[in-house]
Amino acid sequence: MKVIRGVLSEELQNSLQMRKRYRQALENLPRGSLVEKNIRGRKYYYLAFRENEKVRFVYKGKLSEVELKRYREAQKMRAKYRKLYRQVNQQIIFLKKVLRGKTV
Amino acid sequence: MQEAGVLDEAMVIGSWCIYFYRDYFAETDYTSSIRTRDIDFLLPRHLKFKGEIDLAELFKDLGFVIDFSPKGAFRLVHPELIIDFLVPERGEGDDNPYPLPQLGLNAQKLRFLEILLENPMKIEVDDFTLTLPHPAAFALQKLIISWRRPKEEKKLKERQEGIRILNLLVTKGETNSIINIFDSFPRNWKMSIVRALEASDAMDLFKILSQDK
Repeated sequence: MKVIRGVLSEELQNSLQMRKRYRQALENLPRGSLVEKNIRGRKYYYLAFRENEKVRFVYKGKLSEVELKRYREAQKMRAKYRKLYRQVNQQIIFLKKVLRGKTV
Repeated sequence: MQEAGVLDEAMVIGSWCIYFYRDYFAETDYTSSIRTRDIDFLLPRHLKFKGEIDLAELFKDLGFVIDFSPKGAFRLVHPELIIDFLVPERGEGDDNPYPLPQLGLNAQKLRFLEILLENPMKIEVDDFTLTLPHPAAFALQKLIISWRRPKEEKKLKERQEGIRILNLLVTKGETNSIINIFDSFPRNWKMSIVRALEASDAMDLFKILSQDK
């Protein structure tokens, strides 16, 4: 039992550290998501992000392909990291519960 | 990693070997023991691989993020898998990680890993060719390093795994492969192995390896 508890304890430490890394990865991504508006046949972009309780829109104008790619990539990674962050959180909850459990 | 050519030089070591040995021990009553999320890749200190790749960037799309050990060795982490990179320790050793700029990472240095690198075995897994240490080398190395584990449960786990694999090799009729690898070791390594078997009360294996030593 000692071996199994040791393994689970180490997995918990790994998951706690991992959660920290995903949090940092999310913080390091450019803020907000792009909203495209079509005005008289031309595309203009706004960056939408949450500030306190409100959603703010910041006008970014016409963006180059490189900039568009950067924002879209960040949006994709944000969604991915958020999902994985939730997954790690679930692992932490599970592992803490198991390690708290009484041995029979 | 296979496409980039890195897998050709990397050896899977650690608890994932126990999983991959299942076909090797198919005709015995082999079961996989506890396998953690950590998968360890052992690399030689001097790579034959020509070129440069950024492994972190390669794995980023799969959702891996970079983490570092307390001593600065690089690891790739994901809720389902944690990838560590190791190289054999040489000389007196120090706490610094070993730079592998061709792969854009620092690897952790550990003792006794050359035992594994010097006794490779290839297996096919789906579309991949993986290199593992021969089970005899894997098991004997576990017995040597068990003495270096400060925590009792880790010491126990290393010895249990090593002894189990050695017993399976004997059942498979491969006692000679154990003896051949054991005989290639320096005396102090042999003593560590024999003492670990004695401490674990594995007397059949103890007798096989302590004959005429």
